[in-house]
Amino acid sequence: MTIPQTTSSPPAPQPRVSRRTFLKGSAAAAVAIGAAALPSARGAAVEQPASGTPSGPFRKGSVIDCHAHLSHRSRATWEADDRKLIEAADKLGIDQLCCSTLTPRWPATADGFRECNQWTADGMRRFPGRVLGYCYVNPGYGREALEEIRRCVEERRFVGIKLYNEYTCTEPVVFPIVELAIELGVPILHHAAHSHYFVEDQPRMSDGGHLAELARRYPEAMLICAHISGGGDWEWTIKALRNAPSVLLDTSGSVTDEGTVEMAAAVVGVDRLVFGCDSSMTAGVGKIRGANLSTQDKEKILGENMMKLLRRRKP
Amino acid sequence: MIVDVNAYLGHFAFRRLRHNTAAALLALMDSKKIDKAVVSSASAITYRNAQAGNEEVAAEVRGHRDRLIPLAVINPFYAGWQDDLKACHEDFGVAGLRLYPKWHNYSLSSPCCRELVNAAAERGLVISIPIRVEDNRERSWLLDIPDLPLEEIVELVKACPKARFILLNGIGYMACLLGRKDNGLPSNYAIELSRLSAVLANEIGQLITNLGAERVMFGTGMPFNYPDPALLKLEVLDASEPDKEKIRWQNAATWLRL
Repeated sequence: MTIPQTTSSPPAPQPRVSRRTFLKGSAAAAVAIGAAALPSARGAAVEQPASGTPSGPFRKGSVIDCHAHLSHRSRATWEADDRKLIEAADKLGIDQLCCSTLTPRWPATADGFRECNQWTADGMRRFPGRVLGYCYVNPGYGREALEEIRRCVEERRFVGIKLYNEYTCTEPVVFPIVELAIELGVPILHHAAHSHYFVEDQPRMSDGGHLAELARRYPEAMLICAHISGGGDWEWTIKALRNAPSVLLDTSGSVTDEGTVEMAAAVVGVDRLVFGCDSSMTAGVGKIRGANLSTQDKEKILGENMMKLLRRRKP
Repeated sequence: MIVDVNAYLGHFAFRRLRHNTAAALLALMDSKKIDKAVVSSASAITYRNAQAGNEEVAAEVRGHRDRLIPLAVINPFYAGWQDDLKACHEDFGVAGLRLYPKWHNYSLSSPCCRELVNAAAERGLVISIPIRVEDNRERSWLLDIPDLPLEEIVELVKACPKARFILLNGIGYMACLLGRKDNGLPSNYAIELSRLSAVLANEIGQLITNLGAERVMFGTGMPFNYPDPALLKLEVLDASEPDKEKIRWQNAATWLRL
């Protein structure tokens, strides 16, 4: 059944894998509550943002990929690659993708991240309602980084901030970024990994422990620990974040280790998990589908938790 | 019908595995509508004497041979491997081998390994080679086992044209000879899809174009991995239904004589 869309966005192709299918993975739960009663992702009603929240429509029931990237335009195929990302989202029933564009080399320069954010803004125009923007900055640029965040969030309607590995998140240079994120009411998706060896090409990598420490300093900040399934020892990361209740964990990454999502749910709770792919599309979707969790819990992970976060944006 | 050519039983030294007994794996397979799985011992990856793991698997699959097809893990540098190979084939009825050259610290080009491969080929056994066991970034502080370079596989398939290889847990085949069209290599290897993409770069689609759907096989890596990502790849793959049937089970049935 086709349900008319009520946004001005062009109708997107029908996904091959509806959210109903996403949720089939928890067979017992889905059967118990009747999976057929669930709305499909594309057919979900559009809900206006909360009053006074001028941040664009976050659709009720949406599947939101909290960790996605548009291609840097130094790649000859960037336009086709971006289109393929949206096509993949269509096939997999992903409604919205929170995207950043990263520089191909780090540390990013101010010109570099500004250019990337310009392209992200362009992606939001090219794929209206599908691409939500993260503003990427290198905190080392101080004032320029802060001005860029303000411009992206206030003028370009970006939904959050993306920080990479230029600085460990507990370094003081990062604090003004976190304080501005709090002021604006937007989340920070922070690259993170924990390996039991020194990662030479990312000497200032943050891990779950660093994010927990940052959260203790700024408990009101909305922090997302990136890709637990692509960030080394995920069991370590989950345990490190157990007692950091304001930090959410992004399930993205190419690793599909069985039991990851269930352990994260058991240790930190499903309310702190947000679905993501980080370009590993079938891995991202498949591990949620495969997780032995209730349908309601999967609904939270797939979109509700992220939507709650995005609605905390300050007017 | 779905046949998974990449499944395991037993324990892994560095992470708890669930669904790792025959009964539990079969229950998982039932819930995912996977009919048969080709299993080997996860414990044998780190056991010094891998044959102990093969014995455990042989005991586990007894009574389930219609659905669980055992493979033997053999280390060609360990004493008595010829006896183990004979026992695994003649007593346990394995359909093939799994080799772990990096974990067992030998080279695919070593004479011992070539001797094992040729002995397996003589017996009509397939040789399954995981390119990795787990993502290297999550490795224990105790060890650093690199992924098996695909170039080493190229040399092996060339050197042993009568052997038949199933390559597991690999990625990046298009960047080496193995995934290229008209690559001059014998067609004695097939590629399992658990880490390949079905969207974006769509490596599965490229392999079908370059090698033919006859050379691609379904596998999940369960219970190391959730089986769902691999199943999802088949769902979203742009391929004809006859080609998908080959990948789902027909190729495995032909290669493993199921």
